[in-house]
Amino acid sequence: MKLEKTVARKLLRDGIISLFLYALPVILMFLYFYIRGERPWKEQQGHSSVIATKK
Amino acid sequence: MIKLAEAVFQHLNSWGLPVLLLIVGIIEFLFGLYNKQADRNEFMIDLMSFAIPKILFRPVLAYFSLRLLPVLLPGMQGVFSWVPFFWGVVIIAVADDLTQYWNHRLHHQVPFLWRFHRTHHSAPYMGVAVYFRNNLIHVLLFSQVYLVVTLVYLGLGYPALFVAGMKALIVSAAHSSILWDKPLYRNKWLHPVAWVLERFISTPATHHAHHAVTSDDGIGYYKGNFGNMFFLWDIIFGTGIITRKYPGAYGISHYERDEWYAQFLWPLFKSKVADSELSAGGPMVRMDDEPAEIGVEEKTRT
Repeated sequence: MKLEKTVARKLLRDGIISLFLYALPVILMFLYFYIRGERPWKEQQGHSSVIATKK
Repeated sequence: MIKLAEAVFQHLNSWGLPVLLLIVGIIEFLFGLYNKQADRNEFMIDLMSFAIPKILFRPVLAYFSLRLLPVLLPGMQGVFSWVPFFWGVVIIAVADDLTQYWNHRLHHQVPFLWRFHRTHHSAPYMGVAVYFRNNLIHVLLFSQVYLVVTLVYLGLGYPALFVAGMKALIVSAAHSSILWDKPLYRNKWLHPVAWVLERFISTPATHHAHHAVTSDDGIGYYKGNFGNMFFLWDIIFGTGIITRKYPGAYGISHYERDEWYAQFLWPLFKSKVADSELSAGGPMVRMDDEPAEIGVEEKTRT
């Protein structure tokens, strides 16, 4: 039994929409950081280097 | 009692959830909410599905997280620990549940995958036991737990565990035979709440429809309503229906009670039921059995 063509087409279309849905919360988070001028990933890098220096 | 409830929720992702669901399962059983279809064969499938993954998964997950992930994602342990809790929850909730929506949808729409998911649908009743009821090979190969463990490895531990707990509560409540959403449809003043809730998360009405024996009565809809925690995906992709009603019968129309071990361990063990999808040489997808007056349209489970 093979996958029907119409089903395969819908799966492809919805799969492409899903890529956008996966990315949406990440985009929104960076937009939030951009508006507030925050860069938490830099803070973590700084924190890690301080720990490395102390060692 | 309050301390016990606190402890259950604090340890939701370890022993808390199984204990909570066991209590709900006993309540369902005592109130006769599992209908008379639940015989010894069904009980064995439910029991094995509940117990065995809990024993088997520990060493598998330990190997996956301690041995495999450092090789697959070298130097990335804790790399996303800077992500704030709120955003972590939102990102994981979408990543986890949308992946499971796809996992679920593909198991229904790709004929080759259906037999791995069939055991979950063969139960002729609904209840929290059905939430756990799965083919073991399916659980080991397609579990979402791998995604959660990977996210924990990447530094999103707290949000991942929070989402896992929340999801387990919502999805098990959607499988439950306790129809907690019924008052939302009965009381008119609660209809706005119902409208939002039934589009956002899975409820007994929408998820029971997915487990219905037929899609032809205007209530059941096993061809859709694939959402696990969020029903929103079904709304976005047009794969859902909302009726605010509950199906009259659950399961698979042509189900002839395949042996519990065949359902739990297919393809390692095959069913002895002739023409079963799980039997040796059986069809990949069997057409639904239909009453003569309805069976005009050719229907499949896919």
